[in-house]
Amino acid sequence: MSEYCALADALEGAAATRSKLVKIERLAAALAPLSGEELVAAARLLSGSPFAEWEQAVTSVGWATLARAASAVTGWDKETIGASARAIGDLGEAIGLMLPEENEQPGRGGLQVLEVETRLRELATLRKAAQKQAILEDLLRRASRVEARYLVKTLSGGLRVGADLATVEEAIAAAFHAERETVARARRDCGDIGETAEAARAGTLDAIRFRLFHPIGFMLASPIENPEEIVPELPLFAVEDKFDGIRAHAHKSGSRVVLFSRTLDDVTAQFPEIALALAAPPGQFLLDGEIVAWTGDRADSFFRLQRRLGRKAPPADLLAEIPVAFIAYDCLASGETPLFERPWSERRKELERLAEGGGFLLSRVRRASDGPGLEAFFSEARERGNEGLMFKREDSPYQAGKRGRAWRKWKKALATLDVVVTAVEQGNGKRAGMLSDYTFAVRDGDRLVNIGKAYTGLTDEEIRRMGSVFRKITVAKYGPVRAVAPQVVLEVAFDTIQKSARHKSGFALRFPRIVRLREDKTPEEADTVESVEAIWRGIQGMPVAAPEPGAERPPGAKLPR
Amino acid sequence: MADSAAPHLELRPEGIFVPAFDAWIDPHAPAPRAIVSHAHADHAAPGHGEVWATAATLGIYRRRNPEWSGPARTLAYGETVQGAGAELTLFPSGHILGSAQVRIEGASGSVLYTGDFRRGASRTATPAQAPRADVLVTESTFGLPVFRFPTRAALEARLVSACQAAADDGVIPVLLAYALGKSQEAALVLAEAGIPTVLHGAMWKLLPEYEAAGFVFPLSRPYDSGPVQPGEVLIVPPNCARTPVVRQVRKRRIAYLSGWALREASRAEHDAEILLPFSDHADFDELLAHAAEVAPRRVLTHHGYARDFARILQARGVDAVPLAEGGERAAEDP
Repeated sequence: MSEYCALADALEGAAATRSKLVKIERLAAALAPLSGEELVAAARLLSGSPFAEWEQAVTSVGWATLARAASAVTGWDKETIGASARAIGDLGEAIGLMLPEENEQPGRGGLQVLEVETRLRELATLRKAAQKQAILEDLLRRASRVEARYLVKTLSGGLRVGADLATVEEAIAAAFHAERETVARARRDCGDIGETAEAARAGTLDAIRFRLFHPIGFMLASPIENPEEIVPELPLFAVEDKFDGIRAHAHKSGSRVVLFSRTLDDVTAQFPEIALALAAPPGQFLLDGEIVAWTGDRADSFFRLQRRLGRKAPPADLLAEIPVAFIAYDCLASGETPLFERPWSERRKELERLAEGGGFLLSRVRRASDGPGLEAFFSEARERGNEGLMFKREDSPYQAGKRGRAWRKWKKALATLDVVVTAVEQGNGKRAGMLSDYTFAVRDGDRLVNIGKAYTGLTDEEIRRMGSVFRKITVAKYGPVRAVAPQVVLEVAFDTIQKSARHKSGFALRFPRIVRLREDKTPEEADTVESVEAIWRGIQGMPVAAPEPGAERPPGAKLPR
Repeated sequence: MADSAAPHLELRPEGIFVPAFDAWIDPHAPAPRAIVSHAHADHAAPGHGEVWATAATLGIYRRRNPEWSGPARTLAYGETVQGAGAELTLFPSGHILGSAQVRIEGASGSVLYTGDFRRGASRTATPAQAPRADVLVTESTFGLPVFRFPTRAALEARLVSACQAAADDGVIPVLLAYALGKSQEAALVLAEAGIPTVLHGAMWKLLPEYEAAGFVFPLSRPYDSGPVQPGEVLIVPPNCARTPVVRQVRKRRIAYLSGWALREASRAEHDAEILLPFSDHADFDELLAHAAEVAPRRVLTHHGYARDFARILQARGVDAVPLAEGGERAAEDP
């Protein structure tokens, strides 16, 4: 029987070193003595979840439920627990630090790895917060401080020990003398770090094969803000339109078709006409592509597609009113052969061959050699109702579940605004303790009216430097929020502007991000609410980007893994 | 807050005024007469007219403010000074060398101002006392139940073994510690284990005051006396973590010594690999114990989590209020 404290100690050990090698060593040491279902559970828990990736399950435990359980176990009221979590910067650490002394007696709770996995999985099946709370209370009552820390972190958005899935893959390779690449391939193909660990121990990694109808992660693109960022590398890249729809993997064998969304949910039933069309050609394959609303010969706006979303069995009149189509842009498997490791150019050739059989649309590939050429492609893409451009390195493999530089995306910001920072707040996670969340405003006559809040864009170094500026110009504190004197000007980019009652300006920016600090500008030079309105008028009727899961997270939000 | 919140004290926007002595306690701005509880910069502002403090505090104050030439009044712990209708006594606070609590009593009752304090043994600070008072003005830097520190002995053992382990791994330990108090304590702990230390100038220049109080640093040398050698430990203030002083030590392992080191996030904030919650402040339990022992009828909280600590005391039936509004943690610790 293996105890959870060995895993918690290994995670604590990984957090306590900056060396990747030592992190791997410490995680490997925890995995090496295990086997069977304990090893499966341990490998999953070390990567931050009791579930296999392919299960796409979340424990769905809210902050309030965790705080109530912590309150019952520690005896502290919720207000003190909340204040403590903010002071420490992490709920799991705070709860660990608040546990009573008795919890530190060695071997007291005796939490077992398998038991922890089972109870955490159970949380996902329970609907009522009170039932979840009962499980949490029992675990926390028996947990040591270190165990509580990692139990709660597992439930509240991440272990944060500087060890990602790739690190756990390396630990498995080290623990069981396997090749790192073999472990990574097996994990990708089976979608379960746990199953992978057990196969590595048993020496059966080669038996793990890619399986159709078993969801796998999507390869993601890194954004660029202007074409100059990619022009020097253009000869290496193919260019495609960036479609304004729902990303999906289409698995097909004979007449069986399954569509998986970015969240790895089966969305086949929502799009019967796509399933029907894909079932028609013979053979089996796995395609990556986009579900778009489709009228005549062009993609329609995302607003129209939205009406088709979330309807398990769309009625006939809706099917007729808003037809959809699948535009394929990658081929990950064909026949019995997985193509993940093959270069994009080879996968593209196979995709073109399959397209001859019909059943789906094929994205168009072009090549550009300079900035003006890209600008022209971009305008054409927008005219076709698409969102921007995608760039794909022709020699790159398909890196499932990873965001890399082999794929880039360019969605031109509509415009940028110069705004004034009016309030700042401490960030979460990696930026806990840093004043990294900025609320900003535009001018409205003599006053400033808030228009949004941004969490990303500056480097840690810039955030630190600005932190001391903001501390000096703080005029009032409301809990964690500091109102600051309006002195700092930022340039922000955004995807679109919407009318909104949330902010005083009457507008809200979608996906605002900080482009740079405008230390050369004074607040009097910031943009006005009139210029915001002008941009908003200009975009009425233009396409709007589809929301990407995880692209914007409010602080403290509960995150799926 | 009403001026009558504490006997003998007027709580003004600029700070705490004591009419009986026509003096301010730990004023932030230059004052004609300041009673200074200890020499950390956030309590001992430069430029006062007259300063009343312990001999060690005055000595450090002079070294940090060489231009200051005002009149000084040296007060020993336990020595009583008569004022207009009240008397004032300093008590040790256990925070750093020379640190004091201030008690004022008279016909209208007594008040104890703790300044920064810590209960429990220290190498360089006289152990804190807890004289009774009607009103307690307590610091509350760590006034939340998450802030509970291991014993000093346990932390000292961890410090020594971390430095030894670093040496075994062929890297130089770099300690981030406040220039006044923490760094000298660390140097003494390491000297006892036979480990030599290299001190940043801001620390080194204060050593004569420690020596005057009877502490010796046989294994310490100043940073400007040559590059750090294997086997030595470099001690610098926390704000030096990203400066060349630290960066030029190529093979290094940074340890952060502070109560805030209980937060994992401080690893990233200070590039630190080792977190040692080595604090010169009372932890949550000590704050409660001090309030219980002083046994006041009323508690005023200030610094750090003042609002939360007052609320927690209220829930225990104590009449407690924050001295001023704004209960967020200070940007700087000392």
